[in-house]
Formats: sequence, structure tokens, C-alpha cells
Amino acid sequence: MALRVSSLFNQSNNFTRFRLTRFFADSGKNIKDSDQVSTDAVLPKKLTVALVPEEVHIAQKTRQETLAVVRENEDVGTCSGVPEEHIKTRTVRIYCPAKNAMQSGTNNINYWQIDFDTRERWENPLIGWTSTGDPLSNLQVGFVSKEEAIAHCNKMGWKYYIQKPNVNNPKPRSYGINFSWNKRTRVSTK
Amino acid sequence: MATPVTSGLKQVKPILSLTHVEARRKVITLYKTWYRQIPFIKANYILPVTKEECQQKLREEFYRHANVRDLRVIDMLLVKGQMELQEVCAQWKPAATLLRYWKQTEEPKPKDFMSKFLSGHRE
Repeated sequence: MALRVSSLFNQSNNFTRFRLTRFFADSGKNIKDSDQVSTDAVLPKKLTVALVPEEVHIAQKTRQETLAVVRENEDVGTCSGVPEEHIKTRTVRIYCPAKNAMQSGTNNINYWQIDFDTRERWENPLIGWTSTGDPLSNLQVGFVSKEEAIAHCNKMGWKYYIQKPNVNNPKPRSYGINFSWNKRTRVSTK
Repeated sequence: MATPVTSGLKQVKPILSLTHVEARRKVITLYKTWYRQIPFIKANYILPVTKEECQQKLREEFYRHANVRDLRVIDMLLVKGQMELQEVCAQWKPAATLLRYWKQTEEPKPKDFMSKFLSGHRE
């Protein structure tokens, strides 16, 4: 009964619903859609030019050619959909990932990564796994260079710091040098 | 490290508006459309908020982005606002989701011993 009542209520309200018109109708795309497509299909080219008002043509052309001037600092974070608290309160670490401790090479770590500061984690009482309420906790994004990572953070409005990468400079070693005649490395027979 | 402030300008392809005047006009149009829609929203949804509270919230949401200067960001926000309006008008959005506008994003921290204990935090 309650269901029926509510559905009736909704139906009666349908009439009061506001019909939305597209108020962005003066954008270039719309002009193109409404005027060109409809006339092109039916009329020859000369007639199309004659029928479409000149100012529409001019507006269309201007919109295609004109560039808007904006600041270099892009503010993508505002319209990215990321909640405000995860933009203003987070700190990003920009770093080079470490080498795999097993017998892997080092050619797969030549990139930069970003990750976020650690938020609260707790042991879940259900089966003892670790839980977190932080949506960015396990997010890591790779970048080709440090500059790209910085640019991304600036765009999103995140604070960041750069961790200096540990550079490994292994000394060249050879077995033969142990028996060199002039390096004083022979220990068994002087 | 704080974000460095660069004051350079660059030329980009516009999304909707070419100038700030145009963008401003569009923002005001969107605001007015939302404002006029409020009575219909109130009629369609069963909400525990008054018309004045809705108007206040609308104003607040627009003022939240008052310091946005980038034309393309303004345009993106406009498009999002328009999509949101359509969702509300067509009732694709349920009432509970709509009420998230009035939800406190930050929970108040527990003060006394018992509530601290129950929340699992020492301090």
C-alpha cells in the first residue's frame, strides 16, 4: 500500500518537473550540430552558405581558431572529483623505486613513482588482515622523469617532497687482480 | 616542499568559454537555473530541509569555487554542475545521495574516556 501511494505521489509530481533546456547552446559544437548537419544533407553547398547567417559562420570560425589565455599553473584538482580533504591534507613522496632484493636486474627501476603519506591502519578483527579507510593508501603512479611527477602534483594541488635516489656505483672487480704482480694483492706467496 | 608559484601564462584551446565575461555569464545562468529548480526539487524529493537551507547550500557550493581563475576549470565545473542538475531533475539521484550535501565530512573527535575507548583511539 505504501508503495502504491508513493508511486502515485511521484506520478502526480511528474508534471511539476522542470524541463531542462541546454543552456550551453551557444557553444561551437551545438552550432555545428544544429545548422550544418541539417542543411548539408538536403541543400547544395551554395544554398547552405546563403541560408546560414554570416555571424554564425564567423562565430564558428572564431571558436575554432581562438585560443584562451590561462595561467601556467593548471588547477585540475578542483574539477578532478578527488575529495577536497584528499587534496589539501595529503603529502606526496616522489621517489625512485628500490631494486628488487632478489636476483633481478636494475633495468626495470629506471622510473619515478609517487605515493602518499600513510594514514591510519588497523588489524581487522574478522580474520586479522590489515584494514585502512584511506582511498589513496595503495596508490602508486609511475612517471618517466621527476619533472613529470612534479608537474602532476602541481596540477592536482598536492604538496610533495622529493626523495633522493640511492645511486649504486659498484667498483669494477676482477678475479685476476688478486694475482697481479704489482698491486700487492697476492697474500699467499709474497 | 611547497608548491612553487609560477606566474606564466599560456595559450590553450578553450572548452566552452573564450573569455572570463562569457564564463561568468554561464556560471550565473547555471546558478539561476539551480535556484529556480529548488521548489521542484523540494516537490519531487522528500527532504528534511527547508527551501532556505537549500538556497543557502547552493550559494555555499558555488562560493566554494570562488577563487578558481582557470577558464577551462570553470568550464569543467560548469559542465559538472549541469550534469548534477540533470541528475537531480530526472531523479536519477536518490534522496539519501542528495542529502550528502548537508553531511559533515569530518566526524567530531571523541572527547571523554568511554567514547575514545569505543572508537579504538588512545588520544
